[in-house]
Amino acid sequence: MAAIISLLLGTALAGLLAFLAGIFEDSESNAGSASNPNSQVQLAPQIGNRHRYFNKAISGEPPANALWATTAATIAYLLTAHFGGDAFAVLIASIIGAAASTLLLCAYGVLSHISRIASMKNFEQTMYWDSLLTPLPLDAAFGFLTALMLTLLAFAAHSLLGNPFSVPLLAFFFGITIGAIGSSTGDIYYGAERLYQHYIFGSGIPISVQGDIDVKGEYGYRNSVDTPYFTMRFGGLVTGLAFGMLIFLDAWSRLFTFAGVWTSVIVVSVLVLIILIFIYLLEVYARKRYGRYTED
Amino acid sequence: MVDPLTATIMIIAGGVLVGVCVHFIPASATGAMAAATGIATGPSMLSAGAGLAGIYAAAYSIDSGLAPVIVSGAVGSALMLLITILCGNIMLAFGIGAPPVSGQTASGKSTFSGTKDIITGFEQEGYASPGTDGHGMPFQTAVSGTIGALMGGAGGALVFYAVYSMTLPEIATENAVTLAGIVAAGVFLINSVLPAYVLVGKTEGVFDMKIRSIHRTFISCLVTSSIVACVIYAVCELAVSGVMV
Repeated sequence: MAAIISLLLGTALAGLLAFLAGIFEDSESNAGSASNPNSQVQLAPQIGNRHRYFNKAISGEPPANALWATTAATIAYLLTAHFGGDAFAVLIASIIGAAASTLLLCAYGVLSHISRIASMKNFEQTMYWDSLLTPLPLDAAFGFLTALMLTLLAFAAHSLLGNPFSVPLLAFFFGITIGAIGSSTGDIYYGAERLYQHYIFGSGIPISVQGDIDVKGEYGYRNSVDTPYFTMRFGGLVTGLAFGMLIFLDAWSRLFTFAGVWTSVIVVSVLVLIILIFIYLLEVYARKRYGRYTED
Repeated sequence: MVDPLTATIMIIAGGVLVGVCVHFIPASATGAMAAATGIATGPSMLSAGAGLAGIYAAAYSIDSGLAPVIVSGAVGSALMLLITILCGNIMLAFGIGAPPVSGQTASGKSTFSGTKDIITGFEQEGYASPGTDGHGMPFQTAVSGTIGALMGGAGGALVFYAVYSMTLPEIATENAVTLAGIVAAGVFLINSVLPAYVLVGKTEGVFDMKIRSIHRTFISCLVTSSIVACVIYAVCELAVSGVMV
């Protein structure tokens, strides 16, 4: 009975933590222009658009998130061994671990932004201190929350769901996976909509206009603090939905026992087919709703 | 459990599967600006994300034998990829306001001739935004991605189980699982990055002409995985014989 309660609790908790982690991860990457759209922020000065975006892309989003999550989880795991293993100790240890990984994020973020802007010197891009110092605390806060959620998720997967991997390795796996999901879903909203709001809605961004990003906001120059305010309403939620659904459905498939060791495989296979049907229906809807592009 | 020599061959086979799978998964970095068909990130990193999700799923079945581990890894990987495709298309349809369309098929440059989706029969020509090479993941690329994810997840799980079998005699079970997970993730990252040199940042899966370069990926992954497998075999043999633990 205790094992079943642990599994049910773990499934619900893991799904919730993964959903929140997805939202925070997408907001962190958008506040720091950390994923694929950083190429647009980098291109902007080359076509004469001086900007005040925070541009701290250090590496691809998956390895970067894996680094923050693994650092936080390793410290938290070592502290838990020191504090004892109850839930309160895990929470405190995770907060300390996430805080340490946030310091790392800040250090990399500052150096990365400065060196990226310095490389644009030939195109007269100025190094504005406010474009670094204003978004940095916000980016760090989202980074902290992402690392914290992923560390707690790793503890939940290890202790409640019974995954045999150690906590830091689970955090590494979740970091790589959430980075891949975040840069595949949420970043489209930042790269194709937020950065190009002055282009008409309902179209991809043609290669010929890439780099012509929005640099003006409602009041003065746009900065990266405004970005998560916009993207969290849709991009962040869909990223959270994707990662939350993955972790929740994977855990949920293990609650059944009707076919022994093959149960979860059968359940996930059925889920895969259902998702394929949803992909088909969404394509039918989108084609009917938007139709062909015409000359005008 | 399998013997060390068979496990070495399994690592090589798993590594090659991982490398080849990247060709099937539609991905494109410029997809983040909805300027090209495919999931909006680099093919290598996306495959790594899907593969590690597969190894995470496979770990739950580690005590159930080889077949459940491989199949769990494959379907776990496919689940991650399809959720990403679905959510990417939701973002495209409601956030950008454009339908999914294959750029290569629309321009008649697909591996299969014609300008229609070969599974649904939907016309692709005219649906891509002007000046772009398509956007989103139409149904045919989703199916190609599913095949790729199944292969990648199975490959990763194969390496995971092989390393677990080789290390188990010498160290405690929980340490062997974690060690096997680290090695499997490493082999996955090595082999999923190699195809990047052929794909140069973009592919539409089996519908992209780059699928014809798959033999290059196959050979490079075979060589790399063989070296990696020999190193793992040597280290495990030394550990088993007591030279190093």
